[in-house]
Amino acid sequence: MNLRSYLLLDELLKKHPATHKENRAFGLEHPLEQNRPIRQLFLWMEKHISVLRQPCIGDLFSSYVYTVTLILCILVFIIGFFSGIGLLGYSGQEPVNIIYFLAMVVFVPLLTIALAFLSMLKAHKAQNLLVHISPAFWMEKIAERLSYAKRADMKKIKIDPLVGNWLVIERSQLLAWVFSWGLVAALLGAVITKDIAFAWSTTLKVSPEEFYDFVNMIAFAWRDFVPEAVPSLELIEQSRYFRLGEKVDARMIRHASMLGEWWKFLLCSALFYAIILRFGMFLLAKIGLRRALKKSILSQKSAVRLLHEMNEPLIASTADGAEDSLVKTTQGHLQEIKKLNTLYDGVLGWSYSKEEIAVLSDAIGIAASFMLSVGGNNSLANDAYAVSRSYGEMLLCIKAWEPPTMDFIDFVQALSQQADKIIVVPLGTPQEAYQPRSNAVQVWARKLALLQDDKVWLKI
Amino acid sequence: MNFSHPKFAVVGHPNKGKSSIVASLALDDSVQISDTPGTTLKKRSFPLVADGKILYELYDTPGFQRARHVLEWLKKHDVSADKKQEAVQSFLYAHQEDERFRDEIELLEPIMEGAGIIYVADGSKPYSQEYEAEMEILRWTGQPSMALINLIDQADYVQEWKRALEQYFKMVRVFNPMTATFKKHLQLLESMAQLKEEWTAPMKISIKYFEQYHEQMLCRTAETIAQLMAESLAHVERLTLKDKEAAATEEKKIEEMYKKTLRDLEYKSQKNIEKIWHHGHLQKEEKSLAFENMDLFSKQSASIFGLTQKELIVTGATGGAITGAGVDLLLAGHTLLLGGAIGAVIGGASAYFGFEKLAKINLLGQKLGQKYLQIGPMENQNFPFILLGRALYHAQTVASVSHARREKLKLETNQAFKNQWMDESKRKSLYRYHKKFQSEAKIDAEDIKTYEKMILEILKKCINV
Ligand SMILES: Nc1nc2c(ncn2[C@@H]2O[C@H](COP(=O)(O)OP(=O)(O)OP(=O)(O)O)[C@@H](O)[C@H]2O)c(=O)[nH]1
Ligand SMILES: [Mg+2]
Repeated sequence: MNLRSYLLLDELLKKHPATHKENRAFGLEHPLEQNRPIRQLFLWMEKHISVLRQPCIGDLFSSYVYTVTLILCILVFIIGFFSGIGLLGYSGQEPVNIIYFLAMVVFVPLLTIALAFLSMLKAHKAQNLLVHISPAFWMEKIAERLSYAKRADMKKIKIDPLVGNWLVIERSQLLAWVFSWGLVAALLGAVITKDIAFAWSTTLKVSPEEFYDFVNMIAFAWRDFVPEAVPSLELIEQSRYFRLGEKVDARMIRHASMLGEWWKFLLCSALFYAIILRFGMFLLAKIGLRRALKKSILSQKSAVRLLHEMNEPLIASTADGAEDSLVKTTQGHLQEIKKLNTLYDGVLGWSYSKEEIAVLSDAIGIAASFMLSVGGNNSLANDAYAVSRSYGEMLLCIKAWEPPTMDFIDFVQALSQQADKIIVVPLGTPQEAYQPRSNAVQVWARKLALLQDDKVWLKI
Repeated sequence: MNFSHPKFAVVGHPNKGKSSIVASLALDDSVQISDTPGTTLKKRSFPLVADGKILYELYDTPGFQRARHVLEWLKKHDVSADKKQEAVQSFLYAHQEDERFRDEIELLEPIMEGAGIIYVADGSKPYSQEYEAEMEILRWTGQPSMALINLIDQADYVQEWKRALEQYFKMVRVFNPMTATFKKHLQLLESMAQLKEEWTAPMKISIKYFEQYHEQMLCRTAETIAQLMAESLAHVERLTLKDKEAAATEEKKIEEMYKKTLRDLEYKSQKNIEKIWHHGHLQKEEKSLAFENMDLFSKQSASIFGLTQKELIVTGATGGAITGAGVDLLLAGHTLLLGGAIGAVIGGASAYFGFEKLAKINLLGQKLGQKYLQIGPMENQNFPFILLGRALYHAQTVASVSHARREKLKLETNQAFKNQWMDESKRKSLYRYHKKFQSEAKIDAEDIKTYEKMILEILKKCINV
């Protein structure tokens, strides 16, 4: 995973190019990738990449990072080269103090590597102080001068600070590495084109033996393979240089050709500390950056959601399509009466048994010449018989809590052919003392109103 | 007949809660439910689909309208017991175009295509003989069947219903779609599995998927709440100033803006959670489902969902309070202990921790010329608990409310809610994460994940799974 693919994926995720269903289908097509989220995300990206508007931000941004890096690399190489030339500037008067050069190719790299290490450990902090002293921090400044960085959508990209920090760390390792190549080139160039007398010189009280140990320590990595690149004690003794007095020690002049032998040591130091070690750091930073990119992608809401969508079964239990809703008709009009008389021509009990009708008519204080049970589990023939016996003013008692069915409506219509007046009486349960609930009565009222029959009345 | 997957037709008399039962089993809040009989006009299928595969199918149907007519027609074609099914089939055939039997045909069709019968009765109304015709018809279809007693009202006629239903159905269960918990749903699915031998295995799988489905919803909810917490606590609001100095009105303004953003975040998160639980249709117009009249920044929320002084001290949350908000309140506790007044209103809240200061207001940008006020991130140590408490309470309610519910939901805020899930160790570990979210540094994705796990655990405890 690199910066470009990170940005492309990031951009694509924001676009939501596929539905949950499509994503799940994709997840099922690639069952082996379930435990490799990054790989799965990339496969997914390959499939949908065409959705992105060209040129994509990912391409733009990574190409501008590339350009900036290139410019800086050239600059840094030149600076490295000229600092090398400066350090090795040999006038023929004074030998070149290798300590300067060693500082540049051993101590400075060691120090900055240590710093880089620290900043790697702290890269997850949003505000990373160490990042700001690195040269790559200035990349941004250069980037701002580049014309295409001004594109509106480029400004919009917000790089995750974790990624940003790692990017800066990685780039600074690269730049430091290129800088070191500049130094090495200067060293080689100087060695080839001039004869340089190297010497060492320090204010500190250091005996040649101590310095020899020290040099040996520095050379630990190659002293066994390239022994000629480790200065001998003799050489060290002979190349000690005191600046007291204007002239060079006669003994040194005698061994002038030998003094040049230092260059092998210097070259190996530069190669090992400034090039190889630094390259190791660069690789480490690259790995760190890659991990940061992965971590950053995987912590994004949209990526988390996509992975859920791909890897968890897509379950649904609802109906698709909207349901037609019942149009509540308020049409029609129903005649209502408030108070019942005591005597009617007949009483019919819808879904009441004969005994129940007797009890309830007692309870509500009505009498009639005949009482019949209809509806319920009576046969249709029985209902037809009840209709045929009906005449005049009929009471039709119903259980208010039950819903009016079409069966009932059929019956009322048939009854209306025979009787002159049908009073529908909704009743509550015996426990409720036959008092119906008003919302239940309303349900019956609405249903009966649909009949639009002048003979039908409702007791409310 | 088609044995590809189990099918169940929910049938019965009109207005007995067939659609309610289907809505609650299918977690579908778009089903038409009303107290007008005949609400459901057409049969509707509610398949449980996992990765495109139908595991079982549930049918909502209209109620019987002319059961006696159908039964008489069937009886006229008097046939031997093994031919009864064919009689029903020929009834359907003969009445395809008959408007009068539209409802019966709608409900009998899925049964004749192999669906098991789930007969719904209302156990809060007395049993009556008028049900016998329809139960008899169902018997004629020869399909495996069970009965569910639903309780729409308070009255209880369950025993007499049981006696009657047992004459017709080998399995009778009580199931209340309004109050049934997730466990009850699964139990019902298990009963349905027993209707037919071939269905046992596929229904077992269905139950597995259903559990997974529920788990998914819980996880999404925990994610949403964790996101809300992290976002709200880290939020920073800015206000560009016109003059050099920040006037008191501007300080007031930025604080209001800050509060508004936090309220909006809470609202959005609530809406998301409602969507996760398929309650998207629920009170679309309502501003907020849960806490009308109880603002996020009200004393009431603080006293119900926040920590008490003692809890804050024990948790160590006073350290933060000293730098930022509320130290004055804490130290001068006795004067601000509105215990008497609020306790009386709310009923026994022991303390109220203030909202006077939520976060520091800073004047920034002096050097650059463009000055602005900045408020945030949240410094108040009690606020995270209040926000979290409200979110959990809302989620718990949404997760347990039935999909059959159509009237407006009113939440009775429960004084004891906090104690249902929070103990000292939870409080302490929550507090640790709140502190992290409240710091200005970027929030670590790992932290949010761990926090999310904690929330999930708490949610499960609240929702009782
Ligand atoms: N309180 C309560 N009300 C219920 C319950 N079940 C159903 N209801 C109410 O009863 C009424 C009818 O419910 P529906 O689900 O529409 O009944 P249905 O059998 O589908 O009715 P139709 O489609 O008209 O045949 C609605 O007002 C529901 O809110 C319950 O368990 N408790
Ligand atoms: Mg219905």
